[in-house]
Amino acid sequence: MAKKLQGVGGAPGIAIGQVVRLLDTPNQHITDASPEDALTRFRHAQEMVVTRLQKLAEQLRDEGRADEAGILDAQSLLAEDVSLVEEVERRVRDEQESLTPAVMATIGQMRDVLAALDDPYLRERASDIDHIGQMLKAALQGTLGVQREIPANAVIVAADLTPAETAELRGGSVAGFATAVGGATGHTAILARSLGIPAIVGLGDALLDIPDTTKVILDGGTSTLIVEPDQQEIDSYQQHIADQDARKRQQQSLRDQPGQLADGHTVGLWANIGHPDDALVAHEYGAEGIGLFRTEFLFLHRNEPPTEDEQYTAYRSVLETMDGRPVVVRTLDIGGDKPLPYLDLPTEPNPFLGVRGIRLCMDRPELFTVQLRALLRAATHGDLWIMLPMIATRQDIVWAKDQIATVAKTLQSEQIAHRRDVPIGIMIETPAAAMTADILAKDVAFFSIGSNDLTQYTMAADRGLAELAKQYPHDAPAVLRLIARTIEAGKQAGIPVGVCGELASEPKAAVILAGLGVDELSMTAVAIPEVKERLLTIAQDEARGTAQRAVDGINS
Amino acid sequence: MVETTLTVNHPVGLHARPAAVFVQKAREFKSKITIQNMSREQSKEVPVSAFNLLQIGVRSGHEVRIRAEGDDADQAVAALTQLIRENFGEA
Repeated sequence: MAKKLQGVGGAPGIAIGQVVRLLDTPNQHITDASPEDALTRFRHAQEMVVTRLQKLAEQLRDEGRADEAGILDAQSLLAEDVSLVEEVERRVRDEQESLTPAVMATIGQMRDVLAALDDPYLRERASDIDHIGQMLKAALQGTLGVQREIPANAVIVAADLTPAETAELRGGSVAGFATAVGGATGHTAILARSLGIPAIVGLGDALLDIPDTTKVILDGGTSTLIVEPDQQEIDSYQQHIADQDARKRQQQSLRDQPGQLADGHTVGLWANIGHPDDALVAHEYGAEGIGLFRTEFLFLHRNEPPTEDEQYTAYRSVLETMDGRPVVVRTLDIGGDKPLPYLDLPTEPNPFLGVRGIRLCMDRPELFTVQLRALLRAATHGDLWIMLPMIATRQDIVWAKDQIATVAKTLQSEQIAHRRDVPIGIMIETPAAAMTADILAKDVAFFSIGSNDLTQYTMAADRGLAELAKQYPHDAPAVLRLIARTIEAGKQAGIPVGVCGELASEPKAAVILAGLGVDELSMTAVAIPEVKERLLTIAQDEARGTAQRAVDGINS
Repeated sequence: MVETTLTVNHPVGLHARPAAVFVQKAREFKSKITIQNMSREQSKEVPVSAFNLLQIGVRSGHEVRIRAEGDDADQAVAALTQLIRENFGEA
């Protein structure tokens, strides 16, 4: 009898495949015949690690990410570093230590040297050494290749996957992802959705007991993992996949039609993107605009802030891909949870309530100025809107608009081509902004409701915690009332209101939002066809009724 | 022995990509090449390697002394100096 595990969310789609576990490598003792045999094995392990890192670096370079590639280059040099080799040789030859303990002890020494330095940046590099140690250990135990050679139809099983690992495993033979922890709006799930890979997060620890090569069906739509399905189940899911493909083809025919309800009332369907490349996908899925262009990719995983020209190029490329359609660019939205080496942010006990988003820009105006210059310059190439994150008061907006005006003046005096009439809007993601939307509406050109953070801040529930995410969903009446209030304030002021959180990508929730009168829904591009189809089945009156029941907390 | 002292101006210092480029360049020569960070008091003279570059912590604006000993010492110091002067091939 097949066993079923239930998760809390993920990415839609069905994968039928076999379990491939990415778990920590257990210690195993290997005895070498002689010290020289051991050192030969060590050199092979080094080669494997170096090859792996160089291959990844090459891929990143092909994707135009030279800086990230450089970091991997530096790591691969560390893996064959003379200090490492000499100390391992000494321990194995002179001290007669066995290989793995000798390597790990050497790695430990090296990391301790860095950890003891009086420079916080260098101390952090100790983790680079640990990383090398982990890879060498895996190579020595013959498990490094496991991650590299993933069999066909692999369903990757792990306690948790970092966004980087998820991206690294993209494409190729990976059919789906399943993790024990994580919530529906965590970054792993978001990334899987944008990569179009079926995924389930928050399946619980029982997931980790499933052995490798076990046959499973992963249904991302219902967040169900079926372990050892019988033939009947497999047949039924294969039929399901065939039906889905047929529906996809039908959706394809709707591609160039704008989002609307059954009675013709329009609801714009826009895409959220996190990288210029995603704009191509957005375009492919028929996005009518970019409702949220996250700019953090420019700032993360590097040792210096991006230059004005680098940012300008990224913004311009999206504007050109979208060919005249609106592109809403969110200014840097980062806080103490993602420390940047070049910012030296203080550790905060509660980074989501700390100096993040616009607050960080106030703290580091030079960072904001460079981004604004790049934005106003890029704006000459299309319909660019600027969106400010983490707004809580009118003063936040006034400050930011002052900065934008100053930057425009400077560009003017430098005679650099730019646009000064760019629409400036705000994210509504703090309950404070939603409650005072009528006041804030006077100073901005549009609102965009970030339902993920609005839920987190309204329900006081961390969106990364699977249990809480289930218990305090983002379509709770408390959240919907704040959204309704915001939309009403926008209408009074005559400015458009969109929703750019995960809520917008769920067909059922999209109907509620349409019923509340939202002008535009922005979501991961792959979700657009399904939302478009659903909206077409319902008239505005009916959507209003559904919305009212949801706001009143009556289960429909 | 050939030696020279100069300032590293790359914003990252001698880390990540610049460090990788520097170590790779140094490997092209047979000479024994060492480096010392003159801007950090406790920093010692060390052979050029990825880990040693981390250890001596060269940040932007730091002064380093490069020394080479061997048949191609002149070329080695010249090539490494040029690399630092030209910001590791970045404009």
